[in-house]
Amino acid sequence: MHLLEPVLLLQFLVSGLLAGALYALLACGLNLVFGVMRVINLAHAELMLAGAFLTYVLYAWAGIHPLLAFFLVLPALFGAGFYLQRLVVERVVGKGELQSLLLTYGLSIILINTGLLIFASDFKAIPELQGALIVGDIAISKPRTAAALLAIALTLGVYHFLKHARLGKAIRAVAEHPDVAMLCGIDVVRMRMFTFGLAAAMAGAAGVMLTMIYSFSPETGADFILKCFAIIIIGGMGNFIGALYGGLLLGVAEIFVAGFVSSQWAEAVAYVLLILILLIRPTGLKGAADVT
Amino acid sequence: MKRIHFLLAGFGVGIALASAGVPAQTKEIVVGTSVALTGKYARTGQEQLNGFQLWVEDVNRRGGLLGRKVRLAYYDDESKPDTGAKLYEKLITGDKVDLLIGPYSSGVTLAASTVAEKHRFPIISAGASSSKIWARGYKNVFGLYTPATTYMDQILALAKEKGLKRVALIHADTAFPRDVARGVEASAKRLGLELVFKEEYGKASTDFAAMILKIKALKPDVVVGGSYLPDSTAFMRQAREYQLYAKIFAFAVGPGLPDFGPNLGAIAEGVMGNSQWEPTLNLPGVKTFAKQYEQRYGHVPGYHAAGGYGAGQVLEAAVKMTRSFDRDKLRRALLKLDTTTAFGRYKVDATGMQLGKPGYTVQWIGGSRHVILPPSVAARKTTYPFKPWDKR
Repeated sequence: MHLLEPVLLLQFLVSGLLAGALYALLACGLNLVFGVMRVINLAHAELMLAGAFLTYVLYAWAGIHPLLAFFLVLPALFGAGFYLQRLVVERVVGKGELQSLLLTYGLSIILINTGLLIFASDFKAIPELQGALIVGDIAISKPRTAAALLAIALTLGVYHFLKHARLGKAIRAVAEHPDVAMLCGIDVVRMRMFTFGLAAAMAGAAGVMLTMIYSFSPETGADFILKCFAIIIIGGMGNFIGALYGGLLLGVAEIFVAGFVSSQWAEAVAYVLLILILLIRPTGLKGAADVT
Repeated sequence: MKRIHFLLAGFGVGIALASAGVPAQTKEIVVGTSVALTGKYARTGQEQLNGFQLWVEDVNRRGGLLGRKVRLAYYDDESKPDTGAKLYEKLITGDKVDLLIGPYSSGVTLAASTVAEKHRFPIISAGASSSKIWARGYKNVFGLYTPATTYMDQILALAKEKGLKRVALIHADTAFPRDVARGVEASAKRLGLELVFKEEYGKASTDFAAMILKIKALKPDVVVGGSYLPDSTAFMRQAREYQLYAKIFAFAVGPGLPDFGPNLGAIAEGVMGNSQWEPTLNLPGVKTFAKQYEQRYGHVPGYHAAGGYGAGQVLEAAVKMTRSFDRDKLRRALLKLDTTTAFGRYKVDATGMQLGKPGYTVQWIGGSRHVILPPSVAARKTTYPFKPWDKR
């Protein structure tokens, strides 16, 4: 077949990067929480869906365009994450992984069923930002491009914030050694609230974009969360920027496998990559357990 | 055998009585079923239950079954096959119900029908279309739904009639979409259409770009999907992005649901799909039922509700035919029965699979869903061909 035409290969690359950016946005938040407090948040995809449903409600009831709703959803999810950490997640920090898994699993069940009670199991989506920009012979999906730009801006923004801002440095200190951070006068609980808020806001941002890409129901989270786990292991557990690389790599690898082998095999790519990375470089692409 | 019903009491499922009323002179007839009141099929399950209950009210108003009052015994199967199986065990051995109606979804029905078969108890399946249910040699499962393998037949016949040749087929990798795909392959072959592309995808696929680019290179006339709602909407959105064009786009499930249009906006226009039943169908009993249902429950019934009501009517017809509640007699009657309910015709083959009821083809025209095929019941004329993307 004419699959080896340069135009098609370039199209695959572009489409793969765009798909990967959305993965990255979701995975970065997951990795941030793990990096700072060693909590694997199984409810992360449900936070994304909370953002998606909030966007949907704003659109359906008030006619607010998702790209504008973004400015309402982000603070709302940040607040929700902030207090979720204070009320619930903080209790399992430092208590071992099993407890945090149980807690966040419970949280995800509660969120899914609350969603089912309010929205039933119908699928929602928002018919805005349709079609693609055609550059030369390459089609660049509008909603996915918006999502990718947002994902990269947010991820790099949060990265620089962690690296250079005072608050960001404090968060890294908490990640590295909570006890020493506390001795230095850092309010570790507040830093963790801030971290979870940030992660929830990033999930919410992915949710906003999801409304224009995919039809979602309260149970859609499962389609995304497993891949996110693979991504953070590929990128490096707890390594914030590693998830960006991992997400992009997965997006591109999936589309090339779907193109040259079959779509069914694309589903396996995440896990094959996972095994390869664990064999060759067990700490992930960017090395594990370093917030920066 | 395990005393499963003790376990179930622990799950907190409660039995509920259908409408009370005048006390029956003789012992009442109990119709047992499980419904999805919670879990992923909660909404459809509730509609199905409404349909059952409406039938119970109606049949009692007509004097019951052979003069005996009918009562519905139901439990919540949580949309889960194993819970469904336990509940049918309880209905048959614990509650000793007289008649059985099946649950919603092919998954729960596969599990529940195994229990019914074990007890040699005829069960009317009111909410399943996977042909796998009838491929196991069971003698006690009688379907109401049009089987998935025939879903795309009318659309492929339309393609043939329009002189189209090249068909691209995509489908998800679960039981129901595979059935649809098998049906498409068989029908395409029978009609002399050329299957130029066939690919399966995982249920969690959210990106169809690669598939669409490959299909685009093959320039198909027809794109058919064995799909659900999220994948069919994602596919059409991306088809627009990559300017994939075909004269007919048709998908299982997705376009048949009310959410398809609102989720896609203008992209939905012209997309075809399937329906088991529509409240606007030009068939006897349909409009009366739809009106009665809407008055009672305050919304337009979907096909799940009509299937529930129709299942009751099939039981009623079989009991009338045999003038008894004997399971062996009922089984024979259900095999022979040829009747029309508010859900459409009922006539099964030797395995109990539905053959008499055609599927209906719908199309999104002007922002809403209309029945376009078969012509005898169509509400609108087919819009053909699919409008090119640059002309929208």
